[in-house]
Amino acid sequence: MFFLSLIEHTLRVPPHLLSLPLNKAIMGELEKLFLDKVIANLGLCISVYDIRSIDGGFIFPGDGASTYTVKFRLIMFRPFVGEIITAKLKESDTNGLRLTLGFFDDIYVPAHLMPNPSQSEPDPENKNQVRWMWEFQGEKYPIDGIDEIRFRVHNVNYPSIPIEQPKESRPFAPMVVTGSLDYDGLGPISWWV
Amino acid sequence: MKIRKANAGTLTNFEVLDFLRSRGAATDPTRVIAPMAQSEFKVYDYLVQTAACNQTKESIDEFLKKCKQYDLAKAEILNIINIRPASAVEIDSIIEECEKRMGERVEELVEMVVQVLPPPPNEPKPEEGMDEDKEENPIAEQMEAS
Repeated sequence: MFFLSLIEHTLRVPPHLLSLPLNKAIMGELEKLFLDKVIANLGLCISVYDIRSIDGGFIFPGDGASTYTVKFRLIMFRPFVGEIITAKLKESDTNGLRLTLGFFDDIYVPAHLMPNPSQSEPDPENKNQVRWMWEFQGEKYPIDGIDEIRFRVHNVNYPSIPIEQPKESRPFAPMVVTGSLDYDGLGPISWWV
Repeated sequence: MKIRKANAGTLTNFEVLDFLRSRGAATDPTRVIAPMAQSEFKVYDYLVQTAACNQTKESIDEFLKKCKQYDLAKAEILNIINIRPASAVEIDSIIEECEKRMGERVEELVEMVVQVLPPPPNEPKPEEGMDEDKEENPIAEQMEAS
């Protein structure tokens, strides 16, 4: 799920941070820049692991701030295809399920990757939501939000930034994980325990 | 910004949790004093509910030594450490072509996992049960530390 990435960046440290020790100032700037942001094909940045080297300290003419070339490692969240992850149910509708990890919400399980055979029924409790039921050996097992759901990562997409979006569509998600429940041992944990 | 090495090493959930703990996530109930962002706290909250919260470096080292005889792929070992399956059905989704490669030895592997890696925290069923378990775990950690 997590792995380290070595990044080199030319960082401008603004003058109001001159009183801080250099390490702290650079760490603060790196966190502001990278934390909780998605880097294409690399994943979601969770944290700055360490700083490997700080070079430079040049001041460009006309500028009041010094510029450093910093090499550092970031902890990235990027699930690999085939990884099994436990997540909670966020929404379910006719297209499929949406799962969340707390820090990452854009996990979708589309209808064709649900355990076979399943059907969706309108949920008696929530008007907008739909409940998915899995039929196995004559019994119906519902997928409800009570316990955690285990899924296998099918695909990780980094859609490109759209120029225009219709008004009512979902906010743009820079990283989308598609999951599958169609295998033994996947789905809500209570099904298999 | 240049990416020098896209993959400089895979981390298990336990290693990330350990890193967040060393920055002070566990000891700060107010979540304002520790030098961590809110998003990092969310990752900590997620990891504390998985099997990683009870693991130790020694148990992971022991597991790595013992699983060499089963000839598992690196991704499969990582999945097993992160999920800590407790039955053969759970291992089946982790290991590809489980029956062909392992056959009868699946049960051995499951037993070894259950012995070496500590169990995940208890699943919250009634809400009162969850509060009690959360109180017990940190106290147990403090007692072991002292």
